[in-house]
Amino acid sequence: MAARSVRKGEKGAEGSCVTRSRVLEIVGLMLLLLLCSSGPAFAHKVYVYAWSEGNTVFTESYFSGGVKVRNGLIQVFDASGKKLLEGHTNSKGEYSFQIPEKRDLKIVVNASMGHRGEFVLKREDLGETAASEGKKEPAVSVQKTASKAPEKVDMAQLKRMVEQALDSRLRPIAHSIARLQEKKGPGLTEVVGGIGYIFGIMGLLLYFRSRKK
Amino acid sequence: MHISEGVLSAPVLITGAMVAAVGVGVGIRKLDYDRIPQVAVLSSAFFVASLVHVPIGFSSVHLILNGLLGLLLGWMAFPAILIALFLQAVLFQFGGITTLGVNTVVMALPAVVCSLVFRSGVMKGEGKKSMIFSFLCGALAVFLAGVLVATALMSTGKAFFPAAKLIVVAHIPVMAIEGIITMLCVRFLKKVKPEVLEVSHGC
Repeated sequence: MAARSVRKGEKGAEGSCVTRSRVLEIVGLMLLLLLCSSGPAFAHKVYVYAWSEGNTVFTESYFSGGVKVRNGLIQVFDASGKKLLEGHTNSKGEYSFQIPEKRDLKIVVNASMGHRGEFVLKREDLGETAASEGKKEPAVSVQKTASKAPEKVDMAQLKRMVEQALDSRLRPIAHSIARLQEKKGPGLTEVVGGIGYIFGIMGLLLYFRSRKK
Repeated sequence: MHISEGVLSAPVLITGAMVAAVGVGVGIRKLDYDRIPQVAVLSSAFFVASLVHVPIGFSSVHLILNGLLGLLLGWMAFPAILIALFLQAVLFQFGGITTLGVNTVVMALPAVVCSLVFRSGVMKGEGKKSMIFSFLCGALAVFLAGVLVATALMSTGKAFFPAAKLIVVAHIPVMAIEGIITMLCVRFLKKVKPEVLEVSHGC
């Protein structure tokens, strides 16, 4: 009670005190607003990421900060720019398709409002499609084992098998490493750097203009 | 509201760049020595505002603050926004270098228009009236920017009205927030530094 009455007295006595508290109030409100709205998600760029498993290419599209692109248009082009297929992402931002041709694929996502992202899936990263290599090998190896010296053939076959097994085992790891390397949005460095640039430009302008005067 | 590279066709990009060049030219003409720090401060505010993300279910939108920039800077919003957008393109990969002109126009033109429309109302109006005008200025600038994006996207073969509707609807929360921010800033500046508002942007 006592404290309150004292404060009241102060307010009455000094007008500037009122404005100052108002100012604080407004600044506080704005800070709060900024904090509330920034949240975990951060800004404004579309990423699309793709990997292949067997015959299928999986893609994932998201805005920087991780909001998934829902119902975004995915278009797949080959290296020469010919459109191979298109489709829409589901509610998790995912879209998958059968590999149409085994060559470099450019995957483009068009989210609404002029947002666009792309990802190039290299031919090498498409993996062994069951149709092309997987079937050929056993046939060859059967012939080989039948005709040639068993030891040598075993080595070659073994090598392939190990490579294949490693490939399939390592693919998820490669995938998650790639995901980790994906840039999710600007960091503090870029933000502070940008503000620095703007003030640097300001300094330059002020400097040159002041010399003129 | 950053349009990414590779979305728009060349004629649209060139038109955008030309309009932006004119706007920036006018802005630099009006930029006098005393206003340079103010332009820089607001340019950095704009630069950072794009990182303040407003979650709306299906997409991603962020603050723009172009209404505020227009109100305080008038035509000088053009150079301020150009510099901020350039840095956003280089550092954040928002938008892009080729779309710099179009994006500048998309955000700076509504800023100038809103400042021309609402400025006198904000300056001369007392209390509530001034607040309402500044709210409208902040909100309408975002609205117009959305309409301009839709116009630019027309060149990609998108029908204008569905695109415009989508963008405007997505930005309703942003409009409300920006209206409030503009209102609070004007209220704050009127109390603390009224001369900032009184300097005519047409000087």
